[in-house]
Amino acid sequence: MTDGAASKASAVRVTAGVQARFSSRTGDRLLAGVAAALVIGLCLLPMLRLLMEAVLPGTDGSWPLASLASAGVWKAGINTLVSSFAATAISALLGGSLALLIGLTDIRCKGVLTLFCLSPLLIPSQITALAWIKMLDSGSPVRSALELMFGTWSGHPLYGAGGVSWVMGLEHAPLIFLSLAAAIRTLPCDLIEAARSAGAHHRRLLITIILPLLKPALLAGGALAFVSSIGNFGVPALLGIPGRFTVLTTLIYQRLSGFGPSILGETAALGLILALLAGMGLVWQRWVLARAPALRSSGPMGPVLPLGRVRPAIEIAVWLVLLFLTVMPLAALLGAALVPAIGVPLDWQTATLENFTYVLTDYQPTRRAFLNSTLLSAAAAIVTAGLGLVLAYYGELRRWYWMRVLDAIADAPYAVPGIVLAIAEILVFLRPLPLIGVSLYGTAWILLIAYIARFLTLALRPLAAALRQMDPMLEEAARLAGAAGPRRLVSIVVPTVRASIVSGALLVFLTAFNELTVSALLWSRGHETLGVMVFSLQSEGAAGAAAAVASLTVVVTLTLAALATLFARRLPKGTLPWMP
Amino acid sequence: MKSMFAAVAALALSAGMAQAASGTLTVYTSTPDQAMNDLIAAFNKAEPDVKVEFFRSGTTEVVNKLQAEFTAGAPQPDVLFIADATVMEQLKADDRLMPYADAPVAGLPETFYDSDKTYFGTKIIPTGIIYNTKSGKPRPTSWGDLTSPNAKDQVIMPSPLYSGAAVIHVGTITAQPEMGWNYYQLLADNGAVATKGNGGVLEAVASGQKAYGMIVDFMAFNGKAKGSPVEFVYPLDGVSMVTEPVAILKTAKNVEAAKSFVNWLLSDAGQHYMTVQGYIPGKAGIAGPEGRPAAADLKLMPASTKDIAGESNEIKKHFADLFGG
Amino acid sequence: MDAVTIKSVSKHFSGKPAVANVDLEVAAGEFVALLGPSGCGKTTLLRLLAGFEKLDTGTISIGAREIARAGRSAVPPEERGVGMVFQSHALWPHMTVGENVEYALKIRKVSPAERQRQVDRALSTVGLAERKDAAPETLSGGQRQRVALARCLAMEPSVVLMDEPLASLDVHLRESMQAEFHRLHRQLGATIVYVTHDQSEAMALADRVAVLDHGRLQQVAPPRALYAEPATAMVADFVGRGMVVSLDAAVAGRAGSVEGRLWGEPIHLRSARSGTASMRACLRPEGLALGQSGIAAKVERAVFEGAATILHCRVDRAPDVLLRVLDRAAPPAEGSAVRISVNDGWLLPAASVISAAA
Repeated sequence: MTDGAASKASAVRVTAGVQARFSSRTGDRLLAGVAAALVIGLCLLPMLRLLMEAVLPGTDGSWPLASLASAGVWKAGINTLVSSFAATAISALLGGSLALLIGLTDIRCKGVLTLFCLSPLLIPSQITALAWIKMLDSGSPVRSALELMFGTWSGHPLYGAGGVSWVMGLEHAPLIFLSLAAAIRTLPCDLIEAARSAGAHHRRLLITIILPLLKPALLAGGALAFVSSIGNFGVPALLGIPGRFTVLTTLIYQRLSGFGPSILGETAALGLILALLAGMGLVWQRWVLARAPALRSSGPMGPVLPLGRVRPAIEIAVWLVLLFLTVMPLAALLGAALVPAIGVPLDWQTATLENFTYVLTDYQPTRRAFLNSTLLSAAAAIVTAGLGLVLAYYGELRRWYWMRVLDAIADAPYAVPGIVLAIAEILVFLRPLPLIGVSLYGTAWILLIAYIARFLTLALRPLAAALRQMDPMLEEAARLAGAAGPRRLVSIVVPTVRASIVSGALLVFLTAFNELTVSALLWSRGHETLGVMVFSLQSEGAAGAAAAVASLTVVVTLTLAALATLFARRLPKGTLPWMP
Repeated sequence: MKSMFAAVAALALSAGMAQAASGTLTVYTSTPDQAMNDLIAAFNKAEPDVKVEFFRSGTTEVVNKLQAEFTAGAPQPDVLFIADATVMEQLKADDRLMPYADAPVAGLPETFYDSDKTYFGTKIIPTGIIYNTKSGKPRPTSWGDLTSPNAKDQVIMPSPLYSGAAVIHVGTITAQPEMGWNYYQLLADNGAVATKGNGGVLEAVASGQKAYGMIVDFMAFNGKAKGSPVEFVYPLDGVSMVTEPVAILKTAKNVEAAKSFVNWLLSDAGQHYMTVQGYIPGKAGIAGPEGRPAAADLKLMPASTKDIAGESNEIKKHFADLFGG
Repeated sequence: MDAVTIKSVSKHFSGKPAVANVDLEVAAGEFVALLGPSGCGKTTLLRLLAGFEKLDTGTISIGAREIARAGRSAVPPEERGVGMVFQSHALWPHMTVGENVEYALKIRKVSPAERQRQVDRALSTVGLAERKDAAPETLSGGQRQRVALARCLAMEPSVVLMDEPLASLDVHLRESMQAEFHRLHRQLGATIVYVTHDQSEAMALADRVAVLDHGRLQQVAPPRALYAEPATAMVADFVGRGMVVSLDAAVAGRAGSVEGRLWGEPIHLRSARSGTASMRACLRPEGLALGQSGIAAKVERAVFEGAATILHCRVDRAPDVLLRVLDRAAPPAEGSAVRISVNDGWLLPAASVISAAA
């Protein structure tokens, strides 16, 4: 290039740079502003309202916080912590070992195995709990076999702390599985190769190199599992109540059953304890993650730990464990749906489809509920993924302080029990909105708002982790090319973290699809959801119909998964978590 | 807008004009969905111009939704139609219910409705014993049978901590001099367990997990009709009862329609429909469902709903001490 | 230290050959550089040596021990006793510098006291003894690479493999690290296989350089021979910025010399003493000079390089050819007509690809 042309080109570049900076700032501020407004409106406001209820004296003059100083609350709190830690440990063991097996070894049929590992997400937790109760009923083959080994039990072995921890552990294992699986995919292979050159065989490689590198992901998944456990209501309701084991969520429900003007304040106070516990867990997790070194991933890695001769034995063991843990509850579900009434044994003569025909034709809300749940869950998945992306982008990559604060706020609505969040949403959104003058209460919108508030953290966590790991130079190069913030987000960041976006959205979809406790207070005629429908049918004694709806839910979810798999060929590898 | 409508309605009433009710009626209820839909269809035969919208959930959910609406300052429903009277007593004490002095209570026992006419029972739902016919255990005849060695670790019941109807049941039984809290102590020693609601009891007993349970009668009969191996027993010493009361809220928007709804429920036609739905009607002279005792023949354990409602916290605490919670 | 023998080794990736039929012998204690442009297969060959890729054909032996043979299961990397220094240094972030270096010793069950001794020794060899307890992220790029080297040396490997270890360092650091490698090679007598795309680095460090292109070995020779007597056009071009031109005519003179004609001008070239020669010559800028007679050309550009100027001259008789001439005097202006005389050149041998001069 001659000197004249060079200087002209650089002048153009400078102008473009200045222009880009101005529009970049506006675009950034607009995008970040919208995201911040959404988080404040949907997540912070309800929490503040709860705080208000908890702290200010009630209409009868009582101080809600004083109600916390009772032995019952203390005991329930300890029970919550104990069962949640135990459940998290079980989830870590199960979800973690499966993630390691699938991600690091040469075990076969990885796609199908992954699908099985994720199946607890498909089934509502009360169904799983019920199925386990049935499976270990006195007289059942499994129970008899176990009793031969360990001696007879009086009462039901799952009633109480052990059963609650076990079933919650199973239910939340996919959260740890997903977190670890994503991290394993992005392990830097040169660190592993260096260890192998130094002479490390598989066991040492796993223990001294791979596991320490995976610690942050394990903690992230573990924190999520822990928070899910302390806010879990379905399992302690079914297994804890008969076992005289009360946790904070069932205690809250007890309070709510008491009615009276002071109840709201007391409930809010209890709900905030849960939020506090969750918050402590999440803060600790953040602290650990901040000190962990950021790893730059270096491309896909082949199986690092070939199983060799033990492979068939391990495969059989894994399949057996998965079949026992996932297929058995599904089979119990289907069995309950195919009998005309509870207690009628299932055989060729008694099997009937009348429950299915009832829910599909006679019972009108069913089709509406399917449609509503699908649309609401899909909308929630898309919005939380987008919102999470923006929050994570400005928080982790651009390191804007206030966005990181908002990120922390997003955790709270997930930590409080669903019914408490629903109450908070009602308090905030019952009255018509200030400028628009329309109330969202009684519409599908309040359900969507509640879902977004509750599940934002599920989409945000993996995205924040992925963006922390992204090479900042990718974005810097785009900056120099003149791209403004929002444009960089769309053209550079999104393609890089595609897999985390999809897996976060999927998690939100599956969790929202079966959601019960939040929807129970917020649904209205025409806006029924599946989780509420199953719950209502069950509490009315129509267990067969409830099982039929739950079975159909599983079928629909699997169909959607199959469709997504068909489309996966157009997407890059790793977008769908069960397609390695 | 709201107050204007109420004023017009009041004016019309006071002018003595007979006006067919119309418009939208919003009901919050704990009646099962299908049953509610059928009830509304039957109601619409008498009042075709009233469009009924309802929200249905467990009593706890319904009442908490209502409470949240009260706190936010904009309660939605006109009518409350839920399982037990403890809630109604509380709402009455909070001055949320509208007294309906002209309600057609002729033929209903006095214990059935509030003395100030703020809420009215609509049917008799006794709580008795359900047992699994395939369990090999003997058929129970009285409450005491649940404390026998045969029933060890085999009894399940709804917990008053979570269910207002169960509060009434526990309150009724403990009010009987020959039973009192000692009865529940014996149950606890015999390994009885509590569960969240009647649905859980039905499932546990029908599936054979437990041989005996305390449950409301209609649920047991529904289960039996579908084919579950269960039978219901009205114990010889008597039953407790909930009446599924209906009440009009002070903040009701369509008072005319609300009153017409209450009128219908308490009328012969409405009470007859209770029978059709499988409940024992409260009104004298209306035949009950087949295979069930008539209202007059039911041995009801005497109890004061108002007293029980007032003691509900103590009842719950005592229960929690015995059964955990 | 052991010798490395690579025989008839090939490796394909999805049908495309990355390494094609390579034979190479590295003597014990020798420093061999694998040189070539990106994608030439040098890194693949190194990874085959390390055991991270599987052979499709051929065998690899270290010392007397055969460690890989096509069709049979190879000795895994953790059992080869081969040390490797990665381009990204690959220090484990959750361990301190000292822990990184002693890792291999721990595996070999060396006693803690002995381990500390060896770690201290390795770290002082690279001059980082005082950073033993530091975390890797607190070190600079050059320091990290030295720790990686110490880690490799501590395990006393039979062969040391290096994968472009200096590629991400700045020029000064690169030079001092090169001096480091040189010193270590002399001191320890290590067998080193060193991958690089930088030909000056290869020539500065190696005893012999193996040039690869598209998976095939082009030439293996000591740096001087590579520079002065390239075996193929690719080597001529890649090493030392040679220019390959086609002669009009060539006649062999005394052994090792050739008289030729280039664009009408007579020139004198060196050639191989035996074997057939081609009609193509390799010319280097320092072998050309401006003079009164010679090839007619026009100066297109003069590039100032400090010690000398490189003149890019377009040949009159062959307008698509650009000759680079090294000139130490004040350069002529752009556009001026000059005459280029050829003082030194090399006649490339005929088509055979590999010439493994020992």
